[in-house]
Amino acid sequence: MAHGENAAGFEEHHGTGRYVAVWVALCVLTVATFLTSRLALGPPWHLLVAMAIAGGKATLVALFFMHLWDQPGANRLVFVTSLAFVALLIGLTVLDNATRFPLTNPPHEQTLRFQPPGEEPHVQEGERGQGRPGAIGRPAAEH
Amino acid sequence: MPEATTPAIEPPLAHHFVSMRQQTEAARLGMWLFLVSEVLLFTGLFTAYAVYRFLYPTVFEEASRKGVELWAGTTNTFVLITSSLTVALGYHFAKEGRGKLAAALLAVSLALGFVFLGIKAIEYTNHFHEGQLPGKFYHFAEVQGPGASMFFTLYFIMTGLHGAHVVVGMTVLAIMAVRAWREEFGPVHFAPIELAGLYWHLVDLIWIFLYPLLYLI
Repeated sequence: MAHGENAAGFEEHHGTGRYVAVWVALCVLTVATFLTSRLALGPPWHLLVAMAIAGGKATLVALFFMHLWDQPGANRLVFVTSLAFVALLIGLTVLDNATRFPLTNPPHEQTLRFQPPGEEPHVQEGERGQGRPGAIGRPAAEH
Repeated sequence: MPEATTPAIEPPLAHHFVSMRQQTEAARLGMWLFLVSEVLLFTGLFTAYAVYRFLYPTVFEEASRKGVELWAGTTNTFVLITSSLTVALGYHFAKEGRGKLAAALLAVSLALGFVFLGIKAIEYTNHFHEGQLPGKFYHFAEVQGPGASMFFTLYFIMTGLHGAHVVVGMTVLAIMAVRAWREEFGPVHFAPIELAGLYWHLVDLIWIFLYPLLYLI
């Protein structure tokens, strides 16, 4: 708690060198994420590598540009708590989609052909505006 | 124009705070709570992106490869990172009582904000010409199939909301530049410029995630 306070009761004031160092690191990481995206990494890895680099950059910005490194617990706690909710929201929503029976997800190419017996074709949320004007509202007529 | 290094304007301490320090801490905590609400607002969009990307992985990659301009996104990333640096330096010098230098640095940040918006405007113009618009207005021939227009719908909503934040952030920075120029900030009174900086850094933070998701993968 006490770290980052000086005798006057206010936070310690750092030099400008730290900001410039962070900026250099952010530029290097940006180049790194650009270069790794040009490599043909496998499907999960290109996403994971890019997100890991973005996470590193975000950490640098939050800790040093936004001064969380120097600050007492409360502000850090607020931010870290929000990250937990970010993880819950994205994680659980994707998990929900990943564990569904495939046909209950919005249409993929092949599921467009399936029709429940005795029902009118209806538009599902996910297939609206999929770029083929003829397909809207008439998924069964595609093929 | 006063030339003093001490703040020419008395730091305003509200009567319900014991000290400037307490007031600054309260303001900072309040700003963080607001920033967290912003994070969660964008998280809603990131969640939508995650779901649609999960459902249409190949078409999303194709759209990201063929539909957006990589040079623009990469340049804008460097522009925003650099503007974050100048904002952080502006805060640093404002706290040291060097208001004119702080104002100049904030003006540089503002200029970089305009560069960002300019590049974004070029991109948007291209998207309009290529027909990469949301919903039924989508007629981009190179990427078709289910989910193709969803990518661009999300692209427009996410970069659009981010762009709106850039505009708000630039307005706040402009106000802070004027106040710094008038030597309103110093070692004791610096909360406004710090909070303005926090907002701008958050805008940068969000772009750091938008860039790989929309342009790189």
